[in-house]
Amino acid sequence: MCASVAYAGHMAESRSAARGEAVEIPEDEDALRARFERDVMPLVQGLYAAALRMTRNPSDAEDLVQETVLRAFRGFAGFREGTNLKAWLYRILTNTFINMYRKKQREPATVSVDGDLEEWFLYDRLAERGAEASAETTVLEAMPDEDVQAALESLPENFRMAVLLADVEGFSYKEIAQMLDIPIGTVMSRLHRGRRALEKALWDVARERGFVTD
Amino acid sequence: MWRGSEALSPIECEQVLQEIELYLDGELVGAIARDIEDHLGQCGPCMSRSEFRRKLKGLIAARCGCDEVPPHLTEKLHTLLSRVDPTEP
Repeated sequence: MCASVAYAGHMAESRSAARGEAVEIPEDEDALRARFERDVMPLVQGLYAAALRMTRNPSDAEDLVQETVLRAFRGFAGFREGTNLKAWLYRILTNTFINMYRKKQREPATVSVDGDLEEWFLYDRLAERGAEASAETTVLEAMPDEDVQAALESLPENFRMAVLLADVEGFSYKEIAQMLDIPIGTVMSRLHRGRRALEKALWDVARERGFVTD
Repeated sequence: MWRGSEALSPIECEQVLQEIELYLDGELVGAIARDIEDHLGQCGPCMSRSEFRRKLKGLIAARCGCDEVPPHLTEKLHTLLSRVDPTEP
């Protein structure tokens, strides 16, 4: 009850702000908690999945989610409704990951994104197997989640982050650039090379697991 | 005044495939996006490659974003938040 009254106050504040009036009605603790529970907690599942892809192990992913949610909660009073909550939250996730975990992560040696990556490597290999033209993704669709995740997690961090934020989370290049604090051109090149490396990794995993044979 | 890619029709396969990721990511607007759309509508091979990349993007999203939160983590989060006052700076 208390929360809904305070929330109405917050709405009034937003409307006043839209008219350019400097009216500040701070939310009380109950209202903030209710708004956090309503708006942020439903995003925790996605955060956890992203944290798993970033840290590549459940224990670190749990720590990362805890730290992210805590930081978000502490900063939530300063978050303005109407701005992109998911982008705000993932920026905290990304910063927290970079600050807390980057140093202790070891880069995998399995996939290199050095050298030339064929632009249509995976498509050409799947298409030349004689399947129907429309069925290139059928092999991939048959792969278990764990194998697709392993392919993504085999990418070096810079490339993995770009692909994760664009393809799994659906952020725009501009949002990713802001989250990772890099120019949009760098987002585009990491995304491009990261995707080619991912396609190569998917092919390798599919071959190892016997979903395709040479 | 040059009016974007309107002067370049019909758009070539090579150019379409070069821009296809930007197009699928929703990062292209206006004339160039319409030119690509028109081309894909008329070119089977380009459409096939475009559909492959589109499906792959969807597959990655579905498979890599689906992990369930362990119940003990949800509990931990609620305990953690109950100890913090979000109105304190």
